[in-house]
Amino acid sequence: MTKLVVHNLNKRFGGLHVLKDVNFEIEGPELIGLIGPNGAGKTTLTNILDGAIKPNSGTVYLNDRRIDQLEPYEVARAGLGRTFQVTRSFRRMTVHENLLVPALALDHGLDRTEINDKAMEVLEFLTLDHLRNEYAQSLSGGQQKLLELGRLLMLDADIIILDEPFAGVHPTLMKIIYDYIGRVNDAGTAIILISHQMDSIFSLCKRLLVLDYGNLIADGTPDTVKNDPAVIEAYLGVDDDETDVTTGDQAAP
Amino acid sequence: MEFSYIFWTVLSWMIFWSVVGSFVTRRIYLKRDLDTSNAAFVGSMMGASIGPFGLVPLCLNTPDLTKRLMVAPALAAVAVLMIAFAFADPENYCVTSSSFVASQIVNGLIIGIIYGFMALGLSLIFSILGVVSFAHGEFYMIGGMITYFMTSVWFPGLNPAIAILAACAFTFLLGAVFERLFLTPMYEGKVDRPVEYGILVTFGLAFTLQYFVQATAGANPFKARRYLDFPVLRLPSSEDPWLLRTSRGSLELFEMITISNPRLMAAGTCILVLIALLYFMRRTWTGKALRAVSQDREAAAIAGINPDRMNMLAFALGGMIAALAGAMLVQAFSWLPQVGAIPALRSFVIVVLGGLGSLPGAFLGGIIVGLVEAAGTGCIPDTQRAASYIPAYSMIVLTLTLLLRPTGLFGRRFAGGAHGKF
Amino acid sequence: MKRQHIPALAGLLIVAFFMAFPFLYGANDYRYIMSLLIAGFYYAILASSWSMLAGYAGQFSFGHMGFMGVGAYTAALFSHYFYLSPVPTELCTEFLIGNQYLVIVDAIGVTSSTLNQDCLRQALTIWDGSVQVTPMPVWLGIVLGTVMGGLFGLLIGLLVLPLRAAYLALFTLGFSEILRATISGEIAITRGQAGIEMPYLFEQGITLFGRYYDKTDKIPPYFVMFFLLLTCLAILYYLASSKFGLFVRALREDQDAAAALGVNTTRYKIMVFVITSMMAALAGAVMGYYVNIISPNNLMILQMSLVVAMAVIGGIENIFAAAIGAIIIQFVLEILRNSFEIGPFTVDMTIWRLVIFGVLLMLTLRFARNGLIIPIIDYFSRGHVAAETVAKRTAGIDKAEGRS
Repeated sequence: MTKLVVHNLNKRFGGLHVLKDVNFEIEGPELIGLIGPNGAGKTTLTNILDGAIKPNSGTVYLNDRRIDQLEPYEVARAGLGRTFQVTRSFRRMTVHENLLVPALALDHGLDRTEINDKAMEVLEFLTLDHLRNEYAQSLSGGQQKLLELGRLLMLDADIIILDEPFAGVHPTLMKIIYDYIGRVNDAGTAIILISHQMDSIFSLCKRLLVLDYGNLIADGTPDTVKNDPAVIEAYLGVDDDETDVTTGDQAAP
Repeated sequence: MEFSYIFWTVLSWMIFWSVVGSFVTRRIYLKRDLDTSNAAFVGSMMGASIGPFGLVPLCLNTPDLTKRLMVAPALAAVAVLMIAFAFADPENYCVTSSSFVASQIVNGLIIGIIYGFMALGLSLIFSILGVVSFAHGEFYMIGGMITYFMTSVWFPGLNPAIAILAACAFTFLLGAVFERLFLTPMYEGKVDRPVEYGILVTFGLAFTLQYFVQATAGANPFKARRYLDFPVLRLPSSEDPWLLRTSRGSLELFEMITISNPRLMAAGTCILVLIALLYFMRRTWTGKALRAVSQDREAAAIAGINPDRMNMLAFALGGMIAALAGAMLVQAFSWLPQVGAIPALRSFVIVVLGGLGSLPGAFLGGIIVGLVEAAGTGCIPDTQRAASYIPAYSMIVLTLTLLLRPTGLFGRRFAGGAHGKF
Repeated sequence: MKRQHIPALAGLLIVAFFMAFPFLYGANDYRYIMSLLIAGFYYAILASSWSMLAGYAGQFSFGHMGFMGVGAYTAALFSHYFYLSPVPTELCTEFLIGNQYLVIVDAIGVTSSTLNQDCLRQALTIWDGSVQVTPMPVWLGIVLGTVMGGLFGLLIGLLVLPLRAAYLALFTLGFSEILRATISGEIAITRGQAGIEMPYLFEQGITLFGRYYDKTDKIPPYFVMFFLLLTCLAILYYLASSKFGLFVRALREDQDAAAALGVNTTRYKIMVFVITSMMAALAGAVMGYYVNIISPNNLMILQMSLVVAMAVIGGIENIFAAAIGAIIIQFVLEILRNSFEIGPFTVDMTIWRLVIFGVLLMLTLRFARNGLIIPIIDYFSRGHVAAETVAKRTAGIDKAEGRS
């Protein structure tokens, strides 16, 4: 069973203390929303989990294996996948080749036909099968986003982090992404969902983590989080005190 | 070198401790949860200068890495290297003759100003277009060529100032036209990899220009006459001119420092033009617009600045700056169609050393590279060998910069844009 | 026959043509044309390996000729300074290996002291023909050159790991320049600008299929170079179509995303440097033995420009396009060499052809970003993709409608 343990994570950029003693645990195929104002440290947290940057202190364990000092590719092989805030498909490779990259990088011992079958399955699910041999750059923005999600499916990760999957996506595609999240989650993969679209987060997630200025200020069900005074003050209380949120931008690394 | 083993031993000792220092210090600063951005640099410099005696206290106390703590060990490291050299080769001019040393330093400074000025043009192009112009050296070469041909071949006796202006005007136009014809697809998103496209297409331009000039002007070296003669001065008195003595082609200070006329004039012109350029960048609308575009393209466009126009201006201006440097130096060096390659490389080095887009950085970088080259050419025992290694000096500076402090002296933490982290 | 197969068929025809060419062609300029083709193959190896490095992996290195130089100079120095002798010279540094002495000749350079002979020549004079020394085998020089090229590739690959785009281009250009400066500067060892002489590829001549070829004959080096080119292309093609090719292209497109998907980007970046520099070094060593001399001028930026331009004009993202581009351009450049006169002016085409070439390079970049040969290959091999996409989409819609 998937188990992610984040313990006392700290990260500084020069004088900025971007993450302060962040602690949480994920057990089993949970579907978790990670929210917080701009500059709260969400992306930094993602980058640390992914191995792209190293924390100043603290540990991250995935399935009892320490991953906070590993390189991104090792983290990916250990079973943690992610998407990026800005879509980053391999633009001048075909859709099919895009999917082959993670499958071959993992080296699961599957032969080419098995991988191809799996890729075909993924493409059909994402309604991209007719674009199989097109270059990714000729796809629309939303389709590229789907392609990125498809790559994650090929990775067979235990836990995936989706960074703003709904940003700038057409409602039809939105439905596919909803289906994607549901299906992947049902298949036993834990998901951390980062989004600014509150209605999506609240309708999808059973548990929310709220970051503010690098502090994990709340961890609980959407209802408890909604009524948490600290969260209301820091985030949801935009109407009451707008200055708080705007100054949060300055903390962006 | 008489006792070359001394020098090589010291050098290996320095390299060893600097490598150890950079790794260990960074590790320890990371462990103690401190700012690590300069730790590797300070650690390596501390290791290079006083070895374990500096590293141990540094790692035990982990002080805040202030500017002073960064500059002092670096200077100390240079000093150690110099002392080692002095012991290794006590007969060398660089050790025995103080007037030679003073002359080398002053000349290094002067040539460094010109280098810095030329690098500024590259930096301008880079900060606005995000392109490293590989044709920068060819603009330099063409500036010199046009000035030479106008003053010596086409219109003998022409006032050099007119020729220099003509060279500037021509290269400005050339830069503008090239930018319009070949660089525009970069910003319109028509190119898959804009940075690489920029490198290759300016590379193509450099190739074309170099051989075009060679085909039209031939491959024999030229040298322009001096533009101006110094007035003959004897200070404080003609009997005992200990302060200043000039002849038409050179100038002597304190009876020990000799500076050649063309170089001094070139440096002077560069400083004047630099002041004009600073005024242009800070005070005029166009200059401010240029700076705005270099900082944030989209925001500048929203504010009513046409970034495309600024691209053209920046590329043309950058080329012109190189051409001006060439036009001033054609009276100092012999000129060939291939003459641009080394100054171009050197400009890249200076831009990286100074920090991308940093004006004081480019200048300080220029002076550092000027001094390093002066030391290299002046002190390496075998002169022929020293001359062959000219391109290598600046490349060593580049390697050290990239290894120790990739952001350069005054660089922003990360250079933005399509260049990624670096 | 399917349209997709045409490029492969054309490739086979080209190979067959080059195999048969030396035996079918019989005009007066035979030797000249043969040497053109050998140089063409040499440039094709460099251009195609550079296209793997720059086009596939996105590492715009300008140090490729530097690696070539490493290979050529390693081979040259090896052949120049190492000999086997049955008797000790008592003058040189020497080691007993088996029943032979490995003689390391002292470096005397080309300065005034050249009037003196190096230790081996002195020994030979003393022996006066009574002892035969054996030069080192050429193949060993080539192997050593290739290995050394790989080592330098590893070193440079490690150094440029954190560098991208313009920084990488600058650094590698700098590497190449330092190498050139060192070779020009260390005259005592490398003989500086004068260049260092190398033995013939087949010093004793060679007998192939019952026919003896002299050491100056063009046919053996022609086939050596041609088979090297074929081998390199085969290796590159294998790499490009295996997961190596997939990963380095992913690396080119987006290094972070590739790493996040489990690709060990560091490893592949270094691997691509090592492999391509070995190929460049191999080409350099063989070319050096063929032309009998290597000088620092072979490492000039002009040479690098030629390789870059050949790869770009052919098509940087396809090793075959780059190779074909190199051969064609090498040929065209040579044909354009003839100077001609317009009235009183002599047009010195040796230089003007390079101007034309530079303009062609810029125009290709500007208007045909994929080069001039890739579009032709793509027309055949990918021409069906658009139609296929449309057909599949229609089929998909039909299916959906049929269901509803």
